[in-house]
Amino acid sequence: MSTLRSVHDFVTLVRDELGLPIEESDLDRHLDDVAGWDSVHLLALCSALERATGRSISLPAVLTADSLGGIYATAVDR
Amino acid sequence: MTAGAAAPSATGSDAAAELSELYRSGRLPTEFPRLRALLAELPDTELHRAGRLLERVGPDAVRAAHPDVPVVPITVSGYGTVAPLVPLLTVELARHGLLLDPRLGDFGGYLDALAAPDDSSLLLTLLDAQVVFDQVPTPWRPEDVAHTFTAKIDLIEGLLARSTTPVVLNTIPLPRIFPAQLIDHRSRALLGAVWREANARLLRLSQDHPTVVVVDLDPWAATGLAVRDARLSVYAKAHLTPPLLHAYAREVAHLARARAGAARKVLALDLDETVWGGVVGEVGPLAVEVADSHRGEAFREFQRVVRQLGSQGVLVAAVSKNDPEPVREALRAHPGMTLREDDFVRVVANWRPKHENLRTLAEDLNLGLDSVVFVDDSPFEQGLVRRELPEVAVVAVDDEPADHVGRLLADGWFDTVTLTAEDRQRPGLYRAEVERRDFLHSFDSLRDYLAELKVRVDLAVADETDVPRVSQLTLRTNQFNLTTRRLAPADVLALLRHPAATVLTVRCADRFGDIGLVGAVVLRHDDDVLHVDNFVLSCRAFSRGVETATLAEILRHARGSSASAVTAEYLPSRRNAKVADFYPRNGFTRLDATHFRHDLTDMPRPPEHVQLTGSWPPGGTP
Repeated sequence: MSTLRSVHDFVTLVRDELGLPIEESDLDRHLDDVAGWDSVHLLALCSALERATGRSISLPAVLTADSLGGIYATAVDR
Repeated sequence: MTAGAAAPSATGSDAAAELSELYRSGRLPTEFPRLRALLAELPDTELHRAGRLLERVGPDAVRAAHPDVPVVPITVSGYGTVAPLVPLLTVELARHGLLLDPRLGDFGGYLDALAAPDDSSLLLTLLDAQVVFDQVPTPWRPEDVAHTFTAKIDLIEGLLARSTTPVVLNTIPLPRIFPAQLIDHRSRALLGAVWREANARLLRLSQDHPTVVVVDLDPWAATGLAVRDARLSVYAKAHLTPPLLHAYAREVAHLARARAGAARKVLALDLDETVWGGVVGEVGPLAVEVADSHRGEAFREFQRVVRQLGSQGVLVAAVSKNDPEPVREALRAHPGMTLREDDFVRVVANWRPKHENLRTLAEDLNLGLDSVVFVDDSPFEQGLVRRELPEVAVVAVDDEPADHVGRLLADGWFDTVTLTAEDRQRPGLYRAEVERRDFLHSFDSLRDYLAELKVRVDLAVADETDVPRVSQLTLRTNQFNLTTRRLAPADVLALLRHPAATVLTVRCADRFGDIGLVGAVVLRHDDDVLHVDNFVLSCRAFSRGVETATLAEILRHARGSSASAVTAEYLPSRRNAKVADFYPRNGFTRLDATHFRHDLTDMPRPPEHVQLTGSWPPGGTP
């Protein structure tokens, strides 16, 4: 059962897993403009999202996403 | 569990929550010393996360809060993406109270890093199968693989030959997708053979290059850790899986700990249900399970591993809540017992709390509690020791004795770079030490004791055969180490060959036996002044006048060779406060906070109870 049911859950997951103090308002920012973001976070975030959703996520889609919102969409859309 | 470490516990989720809270409230840097205890409670999946949080906090913030925290500079280089290794190294070092100062090499730049290493840090050169397979033609044959792999190792070895930087290499487990591309068994076998030959050659590099350590990843892969994650490898160029990287980081952290002179030395074992099956006080000393039954076989296997560790210098002790008699009887008289009384440096069986017994044990052995690894099957005792003695590493075993061996060995608590002859003799020496202490109690004064002890000190100029032990003394000795200058074997060798330097070895014996090479002094001749660059003495030789006799002899020699003065230095560290006054106590004048001088007019008398022998100065009698 997925523990990722809302944008709120996603924000909490990013904060807990990566230690990034983001808000919902950061989701639409370009990743370059998210304070503290580093591309090395992507792999950790992906595996955390896969654990939370219980399904695999398209890594190419995540790697080309340019915002946290885009990554969230990849994780929940099928 | 990925790397097979700490068993998850009921308190694990509390610790995870507490860690999150410390991070959110910005208190992780100030609470860094307490992290060791928190991390000990976490399962591996949580350790990954903790590592990411700690990496975000960064070493500068921790150092600002704790200027004394030991920092380990590590350069991380590799063929593929190595960044995921950093949080894992961060957290694995934090488990030992060490702070990672990471420097990240350029992507794919492992050869550059080897060619121009940063001498102040440990260099990790992380190798994966793509190092080879990205360079073979398509289609390839086993011969191509052999050719490419050999060429890579030639390149690496050439760079190592020019370097004295400590380097960590690794064997490369072969992902199945490669042999499986070969459809005939003969070729497949050939690929397996050339691959393993190349890995064997990598492993042998550590024999020829004293500054190289090779972490063997094959046994980790054999535990079931996946080597390759197709998506991570293809899309992110991360060619080794996070669990395998975690195992690697764990080994590197133990290596860093050993290099920092903090390898663990004592294995303290609970007895009932840890060393044998059953409660000895209930079933009787001859009925505990140690052989010839299903559970008995499991305990026998564990006892054999303990004995194996003991043969390499690990000091094995028993700490048991029992009456002493049945315990002694079980160890002496049970016909199936593998471990015997002689395998233990001390058997403590009483009803005192275990943390008190462990504290006394460490004192008796003259070692810090951070030298101790404690194994117990009781969650109560595990928790008590973790809380009361956070420096002690607690290995949690449970009611499945077949898992005891795996739990004990999941962490390389006793890992060291090389073993010396002294290491192997250490348990016997410490057993004698315990006898010495019992002997001490039968004397009214220390002076009587020392007179009866018949201490003999032998001073000699170090030769090449002494190099490993002298290096080890500088690396491992923390308390009686006047400047804490750590010397790798190559450094000692360089000193031996330096015309203005003299390295003295201090050997010691007494009525209980030979204690071996227990100390080293590095002297530097600077015109007519003799400078004591460093003075280290193993804790085994404390408190019996060895250091005073040695220093008096150095002064006597200096005066005899027409030196005008002897100068010396004391650099405070976290652990050497007990020798802060060593030089002033022995007649040196304090020049400033760290420098001392003896003008050789008022000569100290060597302690009467010490008999000095030896070949130093060369050709003369001391």
